[in-house]
Amino acid sequence: MIALYVVAAIAVFAAIRAIIEKNTGRKLPYANVLNFAVAGALVLLLDHPLSLVAAAAYFVGSTLESNAIASTYAGGVKR
Amino acid sequence: MNTTFILGLVILAIGVLSVAFVRPKTYVARLINLEIPAWGLLLVMLAYDEALAILTFVAVTAIGTFVIVRLLEWRDASC
Amino acid sequence: MIAGLEVAFGLIALAGAVSAALIRDSYGKLISLGILVAGVLPFIVDRGYLDVAVTVSLIAPIATIFVLMVARREES
Repeated sequence: MIALYVVAAIAVFAAIRAIIEKNTGRKLPYANVLNFAVAGALVLLLDHPLSLVAAAAYFVGSTLESNAIASTYAGGVKR
Repeated sequence: MNTTFILGLVILAIGVLSVAFVRPKTYVARLINLEIPAWGLLLVMLAYDEALAILTFVAVTAIGTFVIVRLLEWRDASC
Repeated sequence: MIAGLEVAFGLIALAGAVSAALIRDSYGKLISLGILVAGVLPFIVDRGYLDVAVTVSLIAPIATIFVLMVARREES
């Protein structure tokens, strides 16, 4: 039960820190921390076997989203 | 009242106001702001326990975003 | 859910919505939209709709990538 509170505290801190940051390049690591903390909270929140699949799907999806934003922000694929 | 219902209504109101009074009056900012009330409406649907409605709504929102993006690209190319 | 966790994730979702409405930069708006999704998703899992959670968490990045296609076009 204490792990859930720790993960929620990390998520709140990362969300506040990612919002008040001015530079876009510095926002992205805190958004990653928030995504990992929420993926940990999803698997601790409910005692169900399919909960692991939901957390893995959110992990894959949020990593894909962050990589797409970072790749486009850095200039995209040079052609 | 339920926490999910109140939170969904608040996010829906914030999203509708941000779409109506968008700050940089560009198409991209309005399109990104249009995604905010979709998540608020998803929370309101979640408060009424409508699982199939949420699935259909999320899929149709993604397809509608794709159609609007196609329309914007075609309009920028033609003009 | 426990009341403290509801407050925490509701605060994350609300902060994501407000910052996505107020930030003027396009990439900052998309990052704030990711924060909003991260705040909404524990409420879906807590009600027990795990299939809905899987679908939402796989479709939300696809919509973001669609928006990124037009954001890159506008910037250049």
